[in-house]
Amino acid sequence: MLADLLHRLRALLARNAVERELDDELRFHLEHQIEAYEKAGLDRDEAVRRARVEFGGVAQIKEDYRDALGVRLLDDLRRDVRLAIRSLRATPAATAVAVLSLALVSGANTAIFSILTSLVLRALPVHEPERLVHVTDTVPRETGETRVRAWAYPAWEQIRQRPQLFEAATAWSFTRFNLSSGGETEFVDGIWADGGFFQTLGVPAAIGRVFGPIDDRRGGGPDGPVTVISFGYWQRHFGGAADAIGRSVQLNGVPFTIVGVTRPEFFGVEVGRSFDFIVPLQTEALIRGRDSVLDSAATNFLSILARLERGQSLEAAAAGLRRAQPEIREATIGGWSKDVRDRYLTSPFTVIPASTGYSNLRSSYERALVIIAAIVALVLLVGCVNVANLLLARAIGRRHELSMRLALGASRARLVRQLLTESLALATAGAALGLLVASYTSEFLVRQLSTAGNRVFLDVSIDGRVLAFTIAVTVLTALLFGTLPAFRAFRFAPLDALKSQGRSPADHTRSGVMGGLVSLQVALSLVLVVAAGLFIRSFTLLANRQLGLQPDRVMVVTIDPLRANVDPADRRALYERARQAVLRVPNVTDAAISQLTPAGGGGFTPPVALSTTGQPIRLDADGDVFGNLISPGWLRTFGMRLIAGRDLTDADRHGAPRVILVNETFVRRFLGPASPLGRTITLYPSSPRALPADIVGVVADAVYGSPRDPVPPTWYLPIAQFDVPEFPFSSARLSVRAGSGAPELLTKSLVAAISAVDPRLALTFRPLATQIDAALIRERLMAQLAGFLGVLALLLAALGLYGVTAYAVSRQRTEIAIRMALGAAPGRAVAMVLGRVSVLVGVGILAGTLASVWASTFVEGLIYDLAPRDPATLATSVIVLAAMAALATWFPARRAARMDPLAALRES
Amino acid sequence: MELPQGTLDVLILKTLALERQHGWAISERLHRISSATLQIKQGSLYPALHRLERKGWIKAKWSATENNRRAKYYELTKKGRAQLDAETEAWRRLSAVITQVLETV
Repeated sequence: MLADLLHRLRALLARNAVERELDDELRFHLEHQIEAYEKAGLDRDEAVRRARVEFGGVAQIKEDYRDALGVRLLDDLRRDVRLAIRSLRATPAATAVAVLSLALVSGANTAIFSILTSLVLRALPVHEPERLVHVTDTVPRETGETRVRAWAYPAWEQIRQRPQLFEAATAWSFTRFNLSSGGETEFVDGIWADGGFFQTLGVPAAIGRVFGPIDDRRGGGPDGPVTVISFGYWQRHFGGAADAIGRSVQLNGVPFTIVGVTRPEFFGVEVGRSFDFIVPLQTEALIRGRDSVLDSAATNFLSILARLERGQSLEAAAAGLRRAQPEIREATIGGWSKDVRDRYLTSPFTVIPASTGYSNLRSSYERALVIIAAIVALVLLVGCVNVANLLLARAIGRRHELSMRLALGASRARLVRQLLTESLALATAGAALGLLVASYTSEFLVRQLSTAGNRVFLDVSIDGRVLAFTIAVTVLTALLFGTLPAFRAFRFAPLDALKSQGRSPADHTRSGVMGGLVSLQVALSLVLVVAAGLFIRSFTLLANRQLGLQPDRVMVVTIDPLRANVDPADRRALYERARQAVLRVPNVTDAAISQLTPAGGGGFTPPVALSTTGQPIRLDADGDVFGNLISPGWLRTFGMRLIAGRDLTDADRHGAPRVILVNETFVRRFLGPASPLGRTITLYPSSPRALPADIVGVVADAVYGSPRDPVPPTWYLPIAQFDVPEFPFSSARLSVRAGSGAPELLTKSLVAAISAVDPRLALTFRPLATQIDAALIRERLMAQLAGFLGVLALLLAALGLYGVTAYAVSRQRTEIAIRMALGAAPGRAVAMVLGRVSVLVGVGILAGTLASVWASTFVEGLIYDLAPRDPATLATSVIVLAAMAALATWFPARRAARMDPLAALRES
Repeated sequence: MELPQGTLDVLILKTLALERQHGWAISERLHRISSATLQIKQGSLYPALHRLERKGWIKAKWSATENNRRAKYYELTKKGRAQLDAETEAWRRLSAVITQVLETV
């Protein structure tokens, strides 16, 4: 047994030695046989002949020997692979192009796929994620997507006190903590989590312990305020040291003890985001002190996740929840206006599956990514068609060799097997290279998605699923472009070997297939170029949209006074002192305080009404009216234009007659053609804190939330005149305009100036230009990706066209040579070659145009300021493609024209 | 003369029972011992030798002959010797039984 195995191994590994030994042994025998015959009296030649005859075929013996060892199949495969590699190396250019095309397209495909799986398909890294549900309500949201609503803490308490509804439930919210103790902030990502968070999710600690319900108390539990850190943070900041447990960290100035570290694969329950610290929910009271929202029924910030009992269906859980709904609602009604209350009371609670988590990232990017995936798949197709054509041309070129082999006795199956081995070898090389491309590309894409304030975390490591996908793509491409030439091989007749340049009827069908492939490539490339054009133009238009302000030299500083322990009533004065300090800094031309900044996120939409002679008219009945609280100098700081009336001044202070500015859209929509100046707007109408204000100026439209959205009707009220005592002003934005140079250069001096006012203020710096750009990330990404892929497709199509034309020229050499020898001008020869190719390209362009028009419906909603069927883009793309075709076919055509007819004829 | 299947193996083993030999010598010896009746074709001999080697009954070694040429010598292993004894015994019994049956009629 062992001996047998050893022999087989030796035969496999030390082939040459084994072969030689066999040779020697047989030769030895043969020589002795000959000698014996000679001794018996035969002459030399006769002896040799007889010995040889008796010996039987030596080759046969060796074959039997090898067969007996069962290595024949392996032998054949090895030979096939070696032959494949050798023949691929014989045409280095074609092979390089094929491998490169395959690598690029399969790499891009794999990268997009791994991002998609991570974003959409990967289940949460928790225990039995299929039993997790989000608790939400069914209010339809404007965007039409199923958004999961946020809850207030009192509502969560009501649900927590009803454990019979689910097996377990928990609540959490994303937040940020400031690690620094004053001056510039150092933010880390955090999660407020209810005490039962880890138990409900079934997530244990990697080291140390996770916290539980006993730690979830307002002053901290028996161990005081505790926190659990993420594995990533543990590695980054503690180097994975075990003594991290027990250390104390300051979160927003409050000391917390680290009690545990989560496992590496746990990133939270929102896909696309990760955390550094998790703290018990009720310690929010410690961290935010006066500004705690735990008792506010109107601040919705918690997501509620529940685990269904085994066997409990979604409907049963929702029904149970709805039965408890009236009590929950009654307990949590706040001092709201009537219509808000009505809405709250009527929309039914429900539960939706949460196994893949809820993700803001996913909902914004899902459609875009699917479109990109479709584009990449198309590029893959183009790449494959390229390689198919390449191999087809090669196979036809080797017709001679293959027919010869057929004539010598090789089976067709053997030939097909060898051709398939070649394509498999190509596909494997391409896929291996592609994996490399994929890992770099997916990391690059994820990095592009992150902004300073919003780190994106997606696990795009190559896992089993991604690998399986790549292998499937590889095998499919191998089959796709391997079978075409292989089928042709079946049609080869051995007689073909004798015809050198002659044509067989099979030639025409072969050219037909190649031609069809070329048209397909051109059509696909046109669609991709149109898509790229649309996305690029859309992004450019969006980016160049009139913002209505001048962002370039503005720095936005977010001031957080929490640690400064200032009474909310005094905070405005504090901000104003900071503003005055900053105005004294050299190179600062303007500075202003406001609650919000353009494209800074958030929106302020208190109810607003227009005073008339009769009843005040509510203006926000049909849609939100947005506002901002600003200080004097704000319009100047942002470079916004005033088109009527006056700007705010220091005279508009607390106690003075209340004034307000509105923008053009506001005037257009609500106030009619007469001058709006002097009319009265009331915030919080029909309530004890109603704030009437007179319009004194009209501002030109400027971006409010996102450059993507149309400018909403907006009002601007002086901060000093916003007399709502309970409004916390928990943070403010100080916007600073630099006189010259980049705003970042001001950072140090600004920190110094503001810290001089109060060193415990937490400051976060962000140039306005960056803030606005961040709002357009999705469009920029689409434009970059589509552009890159469009160029790729164009290149591939050009390569394909070049190959096909070169092939056509070589096939028709004889004909062209004869014609030229007979006196035809070289131009005629060129026309002959290009004629057919032009028809193919034309067909492709036509088909591509139709396909683009049909496919344009899918990009609706992702294109701005542009019709999806924009004729200019379409026309430009057609011209680009035609130019590419002309360029690609020019070289081979020129070679045809320059051909020496006599030399060509002599060769055939 | 046609050899019944499988008998070549035991003949080779027997030949090697006395001393190690190379392939040519084995074939000559068998030819001589069988009074020139058996002429083993090389096409059968070498596959048989390799088969026996794989089964571990004989082992091979390259050495120099008397004329100082290189040849592959085979010799019986312990397993081979046991196999030889077993098969010889089996043959004797078989041929005794068959002879008996044939002569009884």
